[in-house]
Amino acid sequence: MDIMTGVVYPVAGLVGLYIFVSLASLIWEGIDRKLVARMQRRVGPPLLQPLYDFFKLASKETIIPNTSNFMFRAAPVLSLATAIALLAYTPLGFEPILTSKGDVIVFIYLLALLSLFKILGAISSGNPYAKIGAAREAAIMVSREPAMMLAVFAIMWRLGKLGIEKPFSMSVFYQHNIWEIGTPMSFVGALILLYVFIVWLASEIEVGYFNIPDAEEEIAEGLLVEYSGRYLALFKLTKALKAFISASLVVAIFFPWGISGYLGLTGYAATIADLLFHTLKVFLLLFAVQSIFRATTGRLKVTQAVSFLWGRVFAASLLGSLLIAMEVIM
Amino acid sequence: MMLPFLIVIPLFGAFSMPIVSLLGRKAREAWAVIVSLATLGVAGAVFYDIWSTKKVLVYTLGAKSPLGQGVDFPIRIVWEVDLLGAIMILIVTFVAFMAILYSIGYMKHDTGLEKYYTLILILELGMLGIVMTGDLFNFYVFLEIMSIASYALVAFRTDTWEGIEAGIKYMFVGSIASSFILLAIALLYGQYGTLTMSYLAAKMAENPTVVGKVALSLFIAGLLFKSGASPVHMWLADAHPAAPSPISAMLSGLVIKAGGTYALARILFSIYGTSVGMKTVGWVIIVFACITLIVGNAMAVIQTDIKRLLAYSSVGQIGYILLGIGIGLAAYGTNAGEIALAGAIYHTVNHALMKALLFLVAGAVIHELGTRNLNELSGIAKTMPKTTFAFLIGAAAIIGMPPLNGFASKWLIYESSAIFNPVLGAIAIIGTAFCTAAYVRVLYTFFGKPSERVMEAKDPEGSMLLPMIILVLAIIVMGLFPWQISEKIMIPAVDMLKDQVHYITAVIPNFIGGA
Repeated sequence: MDIMTGVVYPVAGLVGLYIFVSLASLIWEGIDRKLVARMQRRVGPPLLQPLYDFFKLASKETIIPNTSNFMFRAAPVLSLATAIALLAYTPLGFEPILTSKGDVIVFIYLLALLSLFKILGAISSGNPYAKIGAAREAAIMVSREPAMMLAVFAIMWRLGKLGIEKPFSMSVFYQHNIWEIGTPMSFVGALILLYVFIVWLASEIEVGYFNIPDAEEEIAEGLLVEYSGRYLALFKLTKALKAFISASLVVAIFFPWGISGYLGLTGYAATIADLLFHTLKVFLLLFAVQSIFRATTGRLKVTQAVSFLWGRVFAASLLGSLLIAMEVIM
Repeated sequence: MMLPFLIVIPLFGAFSMPIVSLLGRKAREAWAVIVSLATLGVAGAVFYDIWSTKKVLVYTLGAKSPLGQGVDFPIRIVWEVDLLGAIMILIVTFVAFMAILYSIGYMKHDTGLEKYYTLILILELGMLGIVMTGDLFNFYVFLEIMSIASYALVAFRTDTWEGIEAGIKYMFVGSIASSFILLAIALLYGQYGTLTMSYLAAKMAENPTVVGKVALSLFIAGLLFKSGASPVHMWLADAHPAAPSPISAMLSGLVIKAGGTYALARILFSIYGTSVGMKTVGWVIIVFACITLIVGNAMAVIQTDIKRLLAYSSVGQIGYILLGIGIGLAAYGTNAGEIALAGAIYHTVNHALMKALLFLVAGAVIHELGTRNLNELSGIAKTMPKTTFAFLIGAAAIIGMPPLNGFASKWLIYESSAIFNPVLGAIAIIGTAFCTAAYVRVLYTFFGKPSERVMEAKDPEGSMLLPMIILVLAIIVMGLFPWQISEKIMIPAVDMLKDQVHYITAVIPNFIGGA
């Protein structure tokens, strides 16, 4: 029984989630492309287009440049593996599979590791365009994460004051949420942090302003320029998963309400209902952040993006965190 | 009683080396490997013995009891090993064995190898002596054995200008540091009339004097020199690059810890203990630790020489160990102090493994390509994949990435420093940020486009690859069980280190009371 609850169920749950999230995130990409096409008065591809793309890429010949090294082949696999591992720590409408105190650090670490593997894979190709893309990705990554970390830690610390059994874990959001505190100051702080998270999400999934590392018009797809066939398919899948996971974090922090309680469901039915409702919320958030942002704005230069992230977003994060923390400190 | 064999075997191995060498180079290499392997075996037995019984092991030279006839104070040289000493013994013999195994391939093109293997065994012997001894003068003798062997080994390649330069620098600085320590010992002997550490601790607890404090400041000064702490780290940045790579691995992994941080912890906790103001001493160490952390890691970022980069990174990591010791003193008796000390001991072991690995990798690169300039090493991942993979693991471990061993030890230090004083926690994090920048830069070079020079390189031969593989495995396996290791080994080691009364009564059974 111990092995069942300790090993078999989590693994089965992770595999199930992986299959579900892969499909959902690829379908979301289809919806996104359709929506953006509609905004530009085009018909757009069918909803399942990303799935067709994935299978097409997977069946294509994979070309390995002769300047590449072992990391070129390993990086796509490692990065997908990291994304799958990350799913075990992601709040998806219910407490993550592997939740324990302090797991927020694992979450942030694995999310950063995804980008790191992508960078390693890109520089391992030996292509100078990929190297430029990798340098940009690194610059953006270093600029965007501190704002998010500060905000997440501030929120978790504040929620920890309300009394929870596992401090600094992803399950906190399903016990208390940020709107519950209720005072005007925390409300304003939460709104400011919502802005921070929305910009962070846009820069994490690299849309709109932040479509910089693989800006195809400037540096010919940048990071992924040398990838083809199977490996490119893996990277595309990872990217879709990452968008879903990042959006899940924002949804869990700001909109964690489940639906099962209202419908009176329990057990597996409740889990599935919450998962579907969570997916709906993720789609709505991604519609706002990804589709609209992508359709309405162009990209910034990398220097502009870095100064925007430090000058505006990090400052906002600082302000929001202070407002949230103020009542407890004073 | 296995303890004496830790000295007997390497000493015999070193002294018989010139004779064995007459049989040819194969015999010489085999002899060095056998001797260091046997020492490792004994070390394993000693470690297991101490770890399973949790007793302080005391060995008296020349008699059954350290006490003289009819007197109740020790008159003989004693060796006294607690769990911290046993951990050091194990790691010293392990890394020394790896370095000797690696030397077979690495030193192939050098001459005078019978002297090399004699010196490397003597270096191991000196470090083992330092961590075993319970006698202050004996400590000084072993410290000098270790130091002189390392001066000679740094300057081993006498046909290169930098070997000689670094050797002279190291020798001058090291001799001054040693003389500080000797002066401190002389002062203590004049004041208290004994050289046995535990008896000295008992006397000092009864009667703390100004002379004792002067001696303490001399000890701290000398040992900070030896450990490469920041205002006095300049010898290290020259000595590590100039030495042959297996020696760099031992210098950086072991020498600065056995003769530096370990000795500091032993003298501060076991001899001085509660008889000095621990908070003041702790803060002195913490200040040096913070400077060391920032300077070492920040200087590592701007290096273009791979071994120099690793040497500065060693300075930075010594900063973490000193920070742990400093907080352990300043927060003595609290939970934070205990965690900090456990982190310091754990980081000592981890850093010995990963820095040995990194220097062995750097050695393999230099051996294949003949350059230490990072700008010329672009893209070695293509032609030396195994070596680069080992570097990747070592770099990730030293930054402190979770599935590897560096994470847990750094975590303990971060956690305790954040509890003790958040500013120190922030400084530790800034140090890690610099460290990350330095290693990511190297990885960026290693994985880049292969330069022409790199194209003819290939992975080194088996005897050089094997130690790297073993170290990589050790890092990964230790990384999988971080909290078990911390709980089962490091915390008991801290408890034994802090238990000064026990350390004293192990030698003088009828000593009552404490500080």
